[in-house]
Amino acid sequence: MSWIPFKIGQPKKQIVSKTVERDFEREYEKLQKLEDQTKKLHKDMKKSTDADLAMSKAAVKISADLLSNPLCEQDQAFLDSITALDTAMKRMDAFNQEKVNQIQKTVIDPLKKYSGVFPSLNMAVKRREQALQDYKRLQSKVEKYEEKEKNGPAMVKLHQAKEELRPVKEDFEAKNQQLLDEMPKFYQSRIDYFQPSFEALIRAQVVYFTEMYKIFSELTDQIDQGGLTDEQRQRETEAKLTELRALSIVADD
Amino acid sequence: CVCACLSSLTLSLVLLYKDNSLSGENTVSEEMLAEEARKKSKEEEAAAKERAAQRQQLAIEELVQSERNYLRMLQICSVDIRSSLQQLQPPLANLDRLFLYIEDVMEVSSRLLSLLDRRPSGEPQFLQTLCDSFLSLSSDIEAAYKEYLAYYNQISIVENSYKQKEALWNEIVRIIKASAPEVNASSLSFFLVMPVQRIARYPLLLQTIQKHTDTSHPAFKLLEKTALTSIALNCRINEYKRFREVADKYKKTETLTIKDKINRLNPHSIAKKTARFSQQLKHETGIKPKLVDEEFDAFEGFFNILEHGILVLLENVETYLLHLQRFLDCRTEEFDLDMDGEKSPICYKEITTALRQWILPTFEKRMRTLIHKPLCALRDLLVGPRNLIRKRLDKLLDFEMIESKSTLSYDEQAVANTYRTINTLLLNELPRFNGLALQMIWSMLGTFSCMHKDLAADMEQLFQSFAQQLPHSHLHPSAFWEWAESAVLESAKKLQTVCQNVEDTLNAPVVQPLSPSSQRRLKQLTDKHGSGKIYQVASTVVGSRDLDLNLARGELVAILSEADTRGDKRRWLVDAGGRRGYAPSSKLIRYHQAMEDPPPSPHLIVPLDVTGKRRHSYTPESQPMPMRVVRQPYFQVIAAYDFTARGNHEVSLRVGEPVCVLEPYDKRGNREWSLVEAISGQRGYVPSNYLSMKPVEARPPGFVF
Repeated sequence: MSWIPFKIGQPKKQIVSKTVERDFEREYEKLQKLEDQTKKLHKDMKKSTDADLAMSKAAVKISADLLSNPLCEQDQAFLDSITALDTAMKRMDAFNQEKVNQIQKTVIDPLKKYSGVFPSLNMAVKRREQALQDYKRLQSKVEKYEEKEKNGPAMVKLHQAKEELRPVKEDFEAKNQQLLDEMPKFYQSRIDYFQPSFEALIRAQVVYFTEMYKIFSELTDQIDQGGLTDEQRQRETEAKLTELRALSIVADD
Repeated sequence: CVCACLSSLTLSLVLLYKDNSLSGENTVSEEMLAEEARKKSKEEEAAAKERAAQRQQLAIEELVQSERNYLRMLQICSVDIRSSLQQLQPPLANLDRLFLYIEDVMEVSSRLLSLLDRRPSGEPQFLQTLCDSFLSLSSDIEAAYKEYLAYYNQISIVENSYKQKEALWNEIVRIIKASAPEVNASSLSFFLVMPVQRIARYPLLLQTIQKHTDTSHPAFKLLEKTALTSIALNCRINEYKRFREVADKYKKTETLTIKDKINRLNPHSIAKKTARFSQQLKHETGIKPKLVDEEFDAFEGFFNILEHGILVLLENVETYLLHLQRFLDCRTEEFDLDMDGEKSPICYKEITTALRQWILPTFEKRMRTLIHKPLCALRDLLVGPRNLIRKRLDKLLDFEMIESKSTLSYDEQAVANTYRTINTLLLNELPRFNGLALQMIWSMLGTFSCMHKDLAADMEQLFQSFAQQLPHSHLHPSAFWEWAESAVLESAKKLQTVCQNVEDTLNAPVVQPLSPSSQRRLKQLTDKHGSGKIYQVASTVVGSRDLDLNLARGELVAILSEADTRGDKRRWLVDAGGRRGYAPSSKLIRYHQAMEDPPPSPHLIVPLDVTGKRRHSYTPESQPMPMRVVRQPYFQVIAAYDFTARGNHEVSLRVGEPVCVLEPYDKRGNREWSLVEAISGQRGYVPSNYLSMKPVEARPPGFVF
């Protein structure tokens, strides 16, 4: 006679208390959010440094292409201005590269490494969940056997079921405790972990902009007409354009 | 026998009944579960809303509280410290300069606070009050702060002059520490830089409130407007600062050397020297008109390289602006690592918010209006001269044909005139065009440089307000990077440990869920060899000798032999689902399967033969007790049931009694009976399926069941 298989139901005894479960959920949620945010920051930082490098290279190209155009060769003062600009741009690009290298080492790489922990952590949480399911299943089995009348075969089955249950219960409890211990610790560790990164980010920019100020103050004194506001610049430009437009050769017939 | 059947029948009926009633219960409880789930998600939503409201409240408090602290600090500085400084002998030079504009800033701050204090900050309408107060004061805030920021350089200069005299500076620091003992201040700029920082902080503070405010909140639109206003304020304040800088610096008449040089640009002389390019062009196009006008060629040559230069420059500028936009789009200040209480991430956020939301956008706008737009206009103007030059060439060719004739027809006269007109026009105006265009480009270079200077100046002023707050900012560059890099390395090591811990303790391979292919393999191997022979590969095996197998971690195999042909017990012959070969025994762990159904209870039929010689015991297929285990357990064999010995060759057992299995088969090799030794020391046969395995800690070496 075949045995009617038991329905795998929920055990009557609460295995994990609601508060513990809720705490677990909360801690895990915090970690999941941390995972998302770290990944996002990593992606944004990478895109930002790529754009930064490209911008700097584009600036170098502006002055380099002008310098290589024969236009500038013929007037010494013009050549001097363009050469000075080109030198400044190349120096800024070098500083920019250094800045990006430092950011790569102290910010982007650590961000990536930090993200690398989450797959293991998520797997561990999954395993705990599986262990919990196994535990619940075997627990309900034991409970079912416990409810039945105590005769020989039933006792044996109960005994077997209890034997089966024990390692699974221990496994779950070990995993559960481990995660309850590790998760908050890991979450807390983010503060000390990222502190140097943020300071480095700021410092790298301070250095870069300090250099930029030095280089471009000097250059501006050399090649810019002093004392102009933006409105004045615009007016001068507009005046030149008007003069150009006034030429007959410009009018398109 | 009949009794046994009847009792089991009853038992199954009881179970059936229970089953049905259970299923009835289950349908009801399914509904209850769904209802519970709905309630739970509503609860969670409400909890999340509650949390967001709390965070919004905290952000609002932060803005108000920090304003209060800020004002208090400024008061300590401008009242207490100032009066102490005034009493110093000899009197400090330029002391008043330090406090020139601070009164206005303090006044507008206290007005803001008094507006905010009209309502308690816990009230729901407070957000409305906050936004209204800020907006109503925004023009006064702008007026006060713009003067302060434009003048701040002077403050730095004065303070630096004090720092030159050590004794004086020490005295000043002493006064500072005495007036504000609870704050870690060691300079005047600690206080005096606060307005610079404060005005730049408003956008971030307001945006933080905005982040935690639902769009359906009645004050949301107003909040949005306030945040945008705070950014616009900063833009205009910076612009004013620049304006004042320029005005102040150039009040004296500067020798406008560059301007002179630009205006003296002589397109004629340049043109002559660039004539060779024009020749090159004609050479390439294969056109060599008989009439060679050197002067014209020179101008045309100049025009060609000018045109080329403008087009390339415009392209480069557009590429530059493209990457600038890309940079602006990656909002790295928008992360939320729940570290808003920590100094360095907050500083980073404030700096980056300033950079991305008004400092760089201003730079971009200036780039577009002062460089890109005029350059586009210039490019458009190239068309006219270009067409005219082409037309002239056509006419020239026509003209060449009729040139030598002594008498020209009416039409031929017209052709000649057209050519001459165009030629003269171009000769007159092309150099003018070339010169003006070149002057424009030259001026743009200066503008480009000045814009970079202004950008750097804005950032420098911003950084000043943070210098005091960061723990390692006093370190010299090389020391700083040394610290940063070693800190990063340390952290990486710690992270590695965490990862390792998590993986080791929690990811023991035995408890891995089986993939469908592994399940198939398991079934195949179990069917073929029995579940007692199933082992799992603990770590990847790469075979080195002939007949060695390559096995992946977690793979399931069945043991065929626990030694190789030479008797080496470290090399086991295994079946890996069709492939057969050797694998190291150290990497194989016994795999135990969990059974869904309870094992059938052995029906014990009394052996027909009572004489004792021949044993029959009818047992349904015996299976070893299945267990799912975590660690490598040691199995203690125990009696699963009471067994009463029916002869000398058997031994009685009580349920739960531990035994030692001497031989898992009887004298005839029948595995249905096992020879065991009981605790009492008695030895005898018992039915094999009456024995159960019980896992115990620690595996003694060499134990094989």
